[in-house]
Amino acid sequence: MKRTSSIVAGLLALAVLPGAPAAAQAPAPAPWLHVRVEEPERQSRVHVNLPLSVVEVALKAAPDIIESQGKIRFGRHGHGMALADFRRLWTELRAAGDAELVSVEDGDERVRVARRGDLVEVRVERSGKEEVHVEVPVDVVDALLSGEGEELNVKAALASLRNRRGDIVRVNEDKTSVRVWIDERN
Amino acid sequence: MVKLMAVLSVPAALLAAVASLGVVVVDVREGGPGGTRIVVPVPLFVAQTALSLVPADKTRVDLDRAAEHLPLAREVLEALADGPDGELVRVEEPGERVVIVKEGAVLRVRVVGRDEDVTVNVPLALALAALPDERGQVSPLLLAGALGTARFTDLVDVRSGGDHVKVYVW
Repeated sequence: MKRTSSIVAGLLALAVLPGAPAAAQAPAPAPWLHVRVEEPERQSRVHVNLPLSVVEVALKAAPDIIESQGKIRFGRHGHGMALADFRRLWTELRAAGDAELVSVEDGDERVRVARRGDLVEVRVERSGKEEVHVEVPVDVVDALLSGEGEELNVKAALASLRNRRGDIVRVNEDKTSVRVWIDERN
Repeated sequence: MVKLMAVLSVPAALLAAVASLGVVVVDVREGGPGGTRIVVPVPLFVAQTALSLVPADKTRVDLDRAAEHLPLAREVLEALADGPDGELVRVEEPGERVVIVKEGAVLRVRVVGRDEDVTVNVPLALALAALPDERGQVSPLLLAGALGTARFTDLVDVRSGGDHVKVYVW
């Protein structure tokens, strides 16, 4: 009896010991990317939840702009800014720390791009009401710009998003709301 | 009595052997009073053998521009198979609901409309086997092998009006 009790006690101790092998080997929860698009007036809701690992693979599906290594061509087609210039601009903005980077006011619309801590925030307000809110972690921009030449490194950006939890994009328009976020729940 | 048992034991053993190897059942029920019901059980090994005998030219599909996306489709399916379970898609509109859930090695698709209810359960191994290669060739052998992974799965369940069609592998 005493021997049995000792064995049970030993097993219990093993089970609750911090760093017990089973606990140490428990896999980290997989991050999920969630997209919600809701149109209350039409009573329409679209919810997409994908493991980030699947998103990484699926992103290769974007048309010709994505190369096999997961890099997107940027500019050079008469529109936008050459990536090299953008990279230089980003390096300077990054060093500036928290600051309002862009502010545009046009009638009742106000667009602001600002660096706040480790986030780059884009906010669009109409008539004093926030309609678009995009938060991109600085790390993700760094990763995105880590490609060479005229390429964005989408693969690295996605890898960086693996550590991100919370909202990435929130859009609230009159009739539509969109939310994109990452967490560890389905 | 012993003779009768001996005679009955042969078909019983045969039935047991077929059942143990699996059976694909197509069950069609017509709605309304006097609606007919047709049940077609096909032993899995017969379906597999038939599949493996399909001539190669009959299982070639014209891929056109889709060919370049096939490796990606394969990778996405493999990533899905390796990924965690959960609800992947939910679309709700008045009178219609579409839900896609990954559960183990099966993708469950449910479409519920005003007058229809469709459930399709796709074993991911079967979906992978059904993908053509870069020349547009679907391998009947691979497909036949993958059918085995669909055992104990309700592949299709369609209710439309009063009709009910069910395909399952037992």
